[in-house]
Amino acid sequence: MTRLIARAVLPVAISILIPLTLFAEEASSAIDFVHDVVPIFKRNCVHCHGGREAEGDFTLNTRDAVLDSGFIDLDDPNSSYLLELITSNDTDTQMPPSDRPRMSVEEIETIRRWIAGGASWDADFTFSIRTYEPPLRPRSPELPVSRNGREHPIDRILDEYLAVRDLPVPPPVDDATFLRRATLDLIGLLPSEKQLDEFLANSDANKREKYVDTLLSDSVGYADHWLTFFNDLLRNDYSGTGFITKGRKQISDWLYQSLVDNKPFNEMARELIAPPTDESRGFIDGIKWRGEVSAGQTLPIQFSQSVAQSFLGINMKCASCHDSFIDRWTLKEAYGLAAIYATKPLELHRCDRPIGETAQAAWLFPELGDVDPEAPREQRLQQLADLMTTPENGRFARTIVNRLWYRLMGRGIVHPLDAMQTEPWNEDLLDYLATELVSNDFDLKHVLKVIATSSAYQSRSEVSGEETANEIYIYRGPRARRMTAEQFLDSVWHLTGNAPAKIEAPISRERPQPKPSKLTKLQAHWIWGPLENGSVPGGQQLVLKKEFTLADPVVGGHAVLTCDNRFRLYVNGEMISSGTHWQNPQSVDWSTYVSHGKNTIEAIVTNDLDRPNPAGFYFESWLEFSDGSQTRIQSDESWMYRVSGSEAIDGKLDSADAVWHPVTIVPALSAWTEVVTQQVQPLINESVMPAHERLMVRASLLKNTALMKSLGRPMREQIVSMRPDTITTLEAIDLANESTLAESIAVGAERLIASTNADTDQIVLTLFRSALSREPTPEERRLVTQSLGEHPDPTAVQDVMWAVLMLPEFLLVR
Amino acid sequence: MNFSGDHGVPERVLRREFLNRLSAAGAAALASGVPRLLANDSLGAIEHPQPRADACILLWMAGGMAAPDTFDPKRYHPFEKGLPVKEMLSTFPAIDTAVDDIKICQGLENIASVMDRGTLIRSHVQPDLGSILHSRHQYHWHTGYVPPQTVAAPHLGAWMSRVLGAPNDVMPAFINIGQRLEGIGESEELKAFTTAGFFGSEFGPMNLPYPDQAAVSVRPPKGMQSQRFADRNRLFRKLVDASPDRDRMSDYQQESMLRSMDAAYRLLSSKDREAFDITLEPRESFEKYDTGRFGQGCLLARRLVESGARFVEVTTEYVPFLHWDTHNDGHTTTARMHREIDRPIAQLIRDLEDRKLLDRTLVIVASEFSRDALMEGKPGSNANDQAREKVDALGEMKHYGLHRHFTGGSSVLMFGGGIKKGQLYGSTAPERPLVAIENPVSIEDLHATIMTAMGISPRMGYEIEGRPFYVTEDGKGRSVDALFA
Repeated sequence: MTRLIARAVLPVAISILIPLTLFAEEASSAIDFVHDVVPIFKRNCVHCHGGREAEGDFTLNTRDAVLDSGFIDLDDPNSSYLLELITSNDTDTQMPPSDRPRMSVEEIETIRRWIAGGASWDADFTFSIRTYEPPLRPRSPELPVSRNGREHPIDRILDEYLAVRDLPVPPPVDDATFLRRATLDLIGLLPSEKQLDEFLANSDANKREKYVDTLLSDSVGYADHWLTFFNDLLRNDYSGTGFITKGRKQISDWLYQSLVDNKPFNEMARELIAPPTDESRGFIDGIKWRGEVSAGQTLPIQFSQSVAQSFLGINMKCASCHDSFIDRWTLKEAYGLAAIYATKPLELHRCDRPIGETAQAAWLFPELGDVDPEAPREQRLQQLADLMTTPENGRFARTIVNRLWYRLMGRGIVHPLDAMQTEPWNEDLLDYLATELVSNDFDLKHVLKVIATSSAYQSRSEVSGEETANEIYIYRGPRARRMTAEQFLDSVWHLTGNAPAKIEAPISRERPQPKPSKLTKLQAHWIWGPLENGSVPGGQQLVLKKEFTLADPVVGGHAVLTCDNRFRLYVNGEMISSGTHWQNPQSVDWSTYVSHGKNTIEAIVTNDLDRPNPAGFYFESWLEFSDGSQTRIQSDESWMYRVSGSEAIDGKLDSADAVWHPVTIVPALSAWTEVVTQQVQPLINESVMPAHERLMVRASLLKNTALMKSLGRPMREQIVSMRPDTITTLEAIDLANESTLAESIAVGAERLIASTNADTDQIVLTLFRSALSREPTPEERRLVTQSLGEHPDPTAVQDVMWAVLMLPEFLLVR
Repeated sequence: MNFSGDHGVPERVLRREFLNRLSAAGAAALASGVPRLLANDSLGAIEHPQPRADACILLWMAGGMAAPDTFDPKRYHPFEKGLPVKEMLSTFPAIDTAVDDIKICQGLENIASVMDRGTLIRSHVQPDLGSILHSRHQYHWHTGYVPPQTVAAPHLGAWMSRVLGAPNDVMPAFINIGQRLEGIGESEELKAFTTAGFFGSEFGPMNLPYPDQAAVSVRPPKGMQSQRFADRNRLFRKLVDASPDRDRMSDYQQESMLRSMDAAYRLLSSKDREAFDITLEPRESFEKYDTGRFGQGCLLARRLVESGARFVEVTTEYVPFLHWDTHNDGHTTTARMHREIDRPIAQLIRDLEDRKLLDRTLVIVASEFSRDALMEGKPGSNANDQAREKVDALGEMKHYGLHRHFTGGSSVLMFGGGIKKGQLYGSTAPERPLVAIENPVSIEDLHATIMTAMGISPRMGYEIEGRPFYVTEDGKGRSVDALFA
């Protein structure tokens, strides 16, 4: 029973939440303006008397302003008006105002002592917002001289940075660490053992650069991995809020193809802002909820927020409700951007209330040009796309290269990524990368290559503490990053061979230039029993049958099938597949169920609903013989049907004595045809490829699941450019007992045992090499061997595999 | 890492960089993804009343529970062919309760018998959000904010989890029982608020859609005996220690990962996890609750709160057009819902009382809005009429019931946690429109009341992306003091 302590726990919880600086001052120590006083002003005063706010004409922005106000009396500190205000009990005059919390005794005492001590103020300090205004135009920085023969521009900049600070240059990582890091970073997968061996054995001095090139030229792997990044950035997903009421459109296929083709980033942005077709329209159209929404979330305002955040790293969410307190953007500017998108006059609302002003379409940086508010909408969007992507808009390039740097190096040059008004910790580095992007036709892969080939990227990651809000970031090397949910699951599937059978994203994903194959041309028809006016009685259940004889034993084969509404498929009496959603065709390797001689396929098919409606069954398959020749079996007029009578018992179907009739070819509904071309065809194409050439299904191509959500994949209702970097307890529970993960590990264990002939040494070696890209240390080898025993059983292997997959070393991209 | 502990960097460089960053109005911190507690206020003393609850159970009547057919009976008309729909107010007669001046609907006799333990609010009102989408109103009710929002709003359970944690630190603080989030209509919209939002998943719900399967969620993987589970964990810890990377373990990411792994292991191997297993409940007690998933959920909630969970929601489950979401055949469906909720709710109250937990456990029975036979939304609303059978007079039984969504006045029950006993608060008009006419209680104020009871100031807030975000919308909620004893 722990309830008794509940009340007592509360104060403890509170003290953790309040920044320690609150209690930092010692009675005896001198008051430090920056550390002691600034936080108090920020908490209590600056919202109304700092930045652009100066209520009652009083501002705390600078020391001069405070002294000029007369609120502080340096000659007689204790009679300062400021102290009177903050200690007053008069609810009409007291500060903070009576509807806000009082300042604490300690805070008041600090202010009193600060005034008594002469109200010291660090010369550079101000609360005003515009202290740092990032440059807009691009700038090509002059590179410092190279040190220690490190010529790479990034290294020249960072080596100089470190030298100025007397900081050591982080040591380089070994080949294996580089290999794992680069593979996870650029295509999101673990390197295989074979890749590891080849890479380590390779004596080419340029092998790292060449490997980066190889990874980046894997257009499918690259697209699979970076799709996650862009889905987060553009809040695109395959399921989520809004789809149910058709208030949201995907850009999945457009996005995926853009990544496969490595479309220049300026073109991508143009097509997102001013969509040439509906394929990329989903981004600017946002998410429309049914019913009324607040003024700060109308579609034009969502447009303003999304465009500003995704492409410029501007948080327009504040300014779309009122002039921002945190940066220079105003309500008028947020609405100006929104009006570019709006189809009708847009009235400005402050905090959800109209202020009697109509927005005029305008771009955020008029020094680069402007949109014509009188032009039609399509033209306005075009003009915006032009202004956004003009090489003169350095902000656009800086924003995206900063995001890429963050992905590869673990910490933005400007950080957080969506506060691009913040001063970068190295302006030259940011500007250099931005210039590289623009001068290479906005080629994102080029920038990734530049980063990944630098010594900085290839150096040991920093051991870091949790970054706090007021901390000064000092670059000391890359930071380890937690695997994303997608990287983690892809890695698990890669290691266990247990990836899901098919993708859910509505995209076409094939190797470039697939070999045309006669085999892959679909020949099946939709079939059923007799139709009445093209329909089938509601609730009707039939058995469909096909008999065929094979002259030789088969060595391989595959079937893809679906049914409107449901089916169960039996081959020679064994149930091998079932489906309840015709939109989700099933894909099954059926070669082990057929045999030399006579074979029977039977399918119990059911038409749901309680009224007549169209129904159909679709079956496409191939079988291969040992001489390489193939045969095809598909649903067509040669099939027979009977009305379902006998039930399947114990998974077996008994059709003895039944009377069979020829089936009818059902005219395909257009929705069916869509499923065939978009899903059945790719599944068949995939099935004819040799196993090692098949594309593994990647987590980025699946709908969000509870497990992925738990592991940090966002819901994508909002733009998310930075995911949580730690693991929570609820996630850890999932990692410990989630059923699909446990299933994958079980499958993986069986596979590992089979591929190593159950040899303990081999199991340990393979596991460490494939999961961690290194060999186990003697101590690790001893521990794992002890746990496995001489004749490892599957459960022992599962547990070892789990333990390795949970190591921070595995879960981090280091 | 702190200012003075930064080795090797010249002091002047640090000082300058520190100032620069601070001067940028703390923009970096403000706009970062990590929420910060707002200034000193937030946890400031709650003047009145003193918080008494340390656990909260929300019994959610998902889909719009019709007040006139549950806790706010009006003029009753039995089914009668040809009865004009406009004559239909309540489809159940009123019955007496343990409190003299409170009558509720027939079918809720058990709840009637515990009415003297709590307060019945009949004047809860919701804003009209235009065309009704249940999940949107549920989002509003559960987070206090109308979707969409520019930041992901936390569920009220996540607020309690974030601010208070769980009384028993082995237990998850926020547990959500009975709602499937996959394979049903509007599931994505439900997920949108069944979340800790910007607080991060640490404070999010543990979802247990099937109470009788809940034990599985906190068990080692299927088929793994506890000895093997312990061995596996031991191997993991040894491998962590043996890692050549061990010297780099001061890294906070690695440390926090290990802490979480450890916390998960402690729950999955602890005695406390038995709280999740309702099959361990004595037969007799189990049967008192067992009216189905909701009843079992109430039992599970009691066990979890006994073991130190902070916030537990049990829902009758929202599935479009099912359960309380009566778009037709409302009377028959409501009669079934009465049977489903009546016994377990009353039993929960009695059990908590017997265990001396009721005073410290706030139990709330609420729904996203009420229903009416005639009126969609509230007077003056332009919401679409979503009744499935649009008739002027009753033709058959399926026309009998309250088939439209009504936001002008609904009922909420509150028990325990310092709430006044045997009280009726607020009222609705005796004739249509059945709007709240006395002491209306908004969502903000109801939340403020709940949070106050739990010891959280309604004005508590966090700063996220530079925006102050409060536990009640814009910090405006005021607790309804009259509800407290």
